[in-house]
Amino acid sequence: MKYLTRTSLSTIGALAFAGAFTTSSALAQGAASAAPATDGFGGAGALNMPIPPAAKLVAITHATILTASHGTILDGTIIIRDGKIAQVGAKLAAPAGAQVIDATGKFVTPGIIDAHSHSSLQGINESSSSITSQVNIGDAFRQDGLTLYRQLAGGVTAANVLHGSANTIGGQNLTVKMRFGLPVDSMKFDKAPPGIKFALGENVRQTNGAQPGRTPRYPRTRMGVEELLRDAFTRAQEYQAEWKEYDKAKAALKKGQAEPIPPRRDIQLDPLVEILEGKRLVHGHSYRSDEILMLLKVAKDYGFRVASLQHVLEGYKVADEIAAANTGASTFADEWAYKLEAWDAIAFNASLMAERGVKVSINSDSDERARRLYQDAAKAMHYGNTSEEEALKMITLNAAWQLGVDKYTGSIDVGKDADIAIFTAHPFSPAARVDMTLIDGRVFFDRKTSPSLEALLQATKKTRAMGNGGSN
Amino acid sequence: MTDSKNRARWIALTSRLATVVSMAAILPAAIVAQSTPNAPKPLTDSYVIRNATVVPVVGPRIEKGTVVIVGGKITAVGATVATPAGATVIDGTGLFVYPGFIDSGTKLGLSEIESVPGGEDKVEVGQFNPHDVALTAVNSHSELIPVARYNGITSVITAPEGGLISGTASLMDLTGWTGDQMSIKTRAALVVNYPRVAGGRRGGGGGRGGPAAEDGDAVNQGVTQLRDYFTNAKSYADIKAKLAAGGAGKQKIDQAMEAMIPFVRGELPVIFDAESAAQIRGALAFGDEFKLKIVIRGAAEAWQLADTLAARKVPVIVGPTYAEPAASAAYDEIYANPGVLARAGVQIAFQTTGASNVRDLPFEVGITEAFGLDADKALEAITINPARIWGVGDKYGSIEVGKVANVFVSTGDPLDPRSHVKYLFIRGELIPLVDRHTKLYEEFKARPKPTPAVKKP
Repeated sequence: MKYLTRTSLSTIGALAFAGAFTTSSALAQGAASAAPATDGFGGAGALNMPIPPAAKLVAITHATILTASHGTILDGTIIIRDGKIAQVGAKLAAPAGAQVIDATGKFVTPGIIDAHSHSSLQGINESSSSITSQVNIGDAFRQDGLTLYRQLAGGVTAANVLHGSANTIGGQNLTVKMRFGLPVDSMKFDKAPPGIKFALGENVRQTNGAQPGRTPRYPRTRMGVEELLRDAFTRAQEYQAEWKEYDKAKAALKKGQAEPIPPRRDIQLDPLVEILEGKRLVHGHSYRSDEILMLLKVAKDYGFRVASLQHVLEGYKVADEIAAANTGASTFADEWAYKLEAWDAIAFNASLMAERGVKVSINSDSDERARRLYQDAAKAMHYGNTSEEEALKMITLNAAWQLGVDKYTGSIDVGKDADIAIFTAHPFSPAARVDMTLIDGRVFFDRKTSPSLEALLQATKKTRAMGNGGSN
Repeated sequence: MTDSKNRARWIALTSRLATVVSMAAILPAAIVAQSTPNAPKPLTDSYVIRNATVVPVVGPRIEKGTVVIVGGKITAVGATVATPAGATVIDGTGLFVYPGFIDSGTKLGLSEIESVPGGEDKVEVGQFNPHDVALTAVNSHSELIPVARYNGITSVITAPEGGLISGTASLMDLTGWTGDQMSIKTRAALVVNYPRVAGGRRGGGGGRGGPAAEDGDAVNQGVTQLRDYFTNAKSYADIKAKLAAGGAGKQKIDQAMEAMIPFVRGELPVIFDAESAAQIRGALAFGDEFKLKIVIRGAAEAWQLADTLAARKVPVIVGPTYAEPAASAAYDEIYANPGVLARAGVQIAFQTTGASNVRDLPFEVGITEAFGLDADKALEAITINPARIWGVGDKYGSIEVGKVANVFVSTGDPLDPRSHVKYLFIRGELIPLVDRHTKLYEEFKARPKPTPAVKKP
C-alpha cells in the first residue's frame, strides 16, 4: 500500500470489480490491461535489465536538440549535473570528467509524457459507485509491468496513471516517472500535485456492455451525471464549511472552554475539498461538446479549474470555451468511430484546438499507443498542419503543464530534470527509433543493451555457430 | 436497442450529414464534392501529372517525370512522353507520384461504429462459412471509406472474421456506387483461423486469431475439424469434376462446398490467420496436405521461420504493427518482424485489420523502417506485393503503362506523417480528398468566436 494520502483507502473493491465492463474494444471500456511479465527473452530480459547508476556529470554532445520550448539547436550539447539540466547550447564542450553520450546524427527531445495511462495496474475501475474519490490508483500500480519497459523504449519518461472511466467522480491518480527496474516507491513523481479522474458520457452511463441482470446504476443519462456532480460538490462545500467553522472555533478557543469537536472525517469528500481549494487537479474524461461545456460550467459554478479534459474528442467544437477556462485538452491522434460518442471525433482535433489557443496533449490510454507517441504527435502535423514544435509540445511540455509538472520536466531547459529521449532520426520520421531514454540523467533504456529482436537473432546465430542447434 | 431507435439515430445522422455535405461545396478544394462522397463523377477522363518525381515501385524513380492517365488507365510514364490534348494538367513540381496503397486485411464496409451493433456485419454464426462473401455486406456508402482514402489507400482486402473458416475475402477499390462496381475480385481468398496453440499467443491487435484454445487437445480438435472440412470439400470438387467429364452418378449441390472449390483446387489463395511459429508451422503443413495456395497472415513470429517461408515462396501478410508483442517476446518484435522477413526474401504485405483507421496503413508500415525494413521494400509491401499476392499484379500495384490508374500525388514520403496526399486517383478518377473528418474540420474551423467574448480567468 504505497502512496497512501490522507484520503487513500485500500482498493480491494477495485480489484474485485476490475474488468467488470466487457465490451469488444479496450477503448469502449476506457481501460487497457497491463501485460503480465513472464519468462522468455523479452520478459525476463527486460525484467533483469541492470539499471546503471546515474553519473554525476553527463554530456550529450553533437545532437540535434528539439527543445520543445525554444526551437531546435544544431550540433547541440546538453550538460547534466546531478540529474538536472545544467547547460544547453550549440557546440558546448563536454566538461572534464563527464560521461559523454555522443549523439552525432541523432535527435534529442524531452522525455515523452503520457497524460493518460492505465499501465501496469492490477485493477482499473472501482465501479460499484459513481463517486469513488476515496480510492487511489497508486494502490493498484505494479512496479513490474513489462509495458513500462516497452514504453521507455518508446521514449516515455512520465505518465499520468488514472482509473478507468466507469465513474463520474473516479479515483485519485498517480503521476509516475518510468523508473522501471527500481522499487515501486521510486516511481512516484514526487513533485507532481495530486489529481483525480472524472468521467462523463457513455462509459459512466454504462451504455456499452451493460451487465445483464445487474440493477442499472445511477446516473443513466448525461443529465444525471451533471446532477451527481453538483450534488457531490454541494456536499463538499458544506463539509468544507463545517471544517472551517471548527478551525475557527479552535483558533478562538479560550482557556477553560470546552474543546470544539471536529466534524466527522469523510474520506470521499476530502479530495473534493482539495479540488475546491485548488490543491488537486481534475482530469475529466469527456467526448461530446455538450458534456465538455457542462463540466466547465459546473467547475465555474463551484469555483475550481479543470486541469485537463481527457479524450475530449469533440473539443474542436468548443475550443474557445476550453481555452477561456484555461483548461488543457488531452486527446488521441486519430482514434474514432469505436463508439457513438466517438462518431464526430476527427483527426484534426488536436490541431484545431491548438489553433484556438488550447494547450493540447496527445495521450495513449493504451500500452500499445504509449510505445509510439512520437508518431502520434507527428499526426498533428499531418492533420491540420500543426507546427513541428507545437506537435512536439503535445507529447512533452503541454502534457507536463496539464499534470502540473512543467516546472520540472517537459522541455530541454536549464534547471529541469534531465528527462530525455535520444532518437536515431527526427522523431516524426519513419526512420526514428529510440536509442536511449534518460530520467533524471540516468539511463533507463539503452537500445545497445536491450533485449531487442536483433540481439536475439545475433544470440541465436552464435549458438548455431557453436553447434548448439538453432531455434527453427 | 430496438430497430426503430437505431433507425431514428441513423436518420438523424444522415440528415446532419446532408447539411455538412452541402458545406463541402464551398471548400477551397480543387474538386467539388459530388452528392455521394464515395462515388464522385469524373470531370474528365484524361489527366497529365507532370514535372513530378515518379515512384513507379517497379523500376527506378523518374525525376521530373510525367504520368498520363486516360480512360481509367495509365497510358504513359516517363521523363519525356507525349501528352493528350484536352487533358487536365496537374503540376507536380516538388511533388511525388506513387501507386495507390493496398491494405491486405480490413473490415472496411462491414463495420461502421463498433459499439452500435446495427452497423456490424463482421462475424457470422458458426465455424464454417466459406460461402459468406465479404462484398455482399459491404456498405459502399460507409463514412469510413473516404476516410481510408485520405492517406493514399485505394484498394483493400475486406473480410469477415470469427469461426474456423470465417468466409471469403473480397478485394475492392475504394470507389463505386455499388459493391459490384467497387469489386476487383469478389472472391479473392478464403479466410481460415488456424487454431491457437496451448497457452495461446496474443490475439493480435483486435482479438483476432480464431477460437481460443485452452490446450493442445483443443488445437487438435480444431485442426481435425478443418481437416475434415477440407477433405469433404476436396471430395466434393473431385466428384463434381468427374461428373462434368461425363462420369455416372450425381451429387447434391451444397453452397458451402461450391464456395470451397477454387480454394481446394489451389486456384485461389487461402489465408491462414496465424500468429505464433507453431501456428505458422501447422498452417504450412496443412497447406501441403491439401496442396493449397496459402498465405500466412498476422504472423508475429514469422521471423523464426523466415528462411523456410522464403524458400517455399509463401507470402506473409504482417500486421497490425499497431499491436503489442507477447509478453515473452522481444520488445520490438512486431516492429522488427517485417524487416527480418523482407531481408530473408519473403514476399510481405501489410494489414491494418480494422475499419475506422485503414488510413493508418502508411504509418503502420513506416514505423517498421526504423527497425530494419528497407524503404523500397516497405513501399512494395503495400503496392506491388499485395497486387501479386491477390492475383492482380498485371493490373495493379505499380505505375506502369496499361495498369489501372490507382495513383496518388504526395508532398513527400507518404510513410512519413509530415507529408500530405494532394491528389488521388482511383481507376483514373480524380477523387476529392473530402471525408467526415475534413468536413467537420472545415465546419468548425469556421465557427465564429463565441459572443460575448469569454474572458480568461
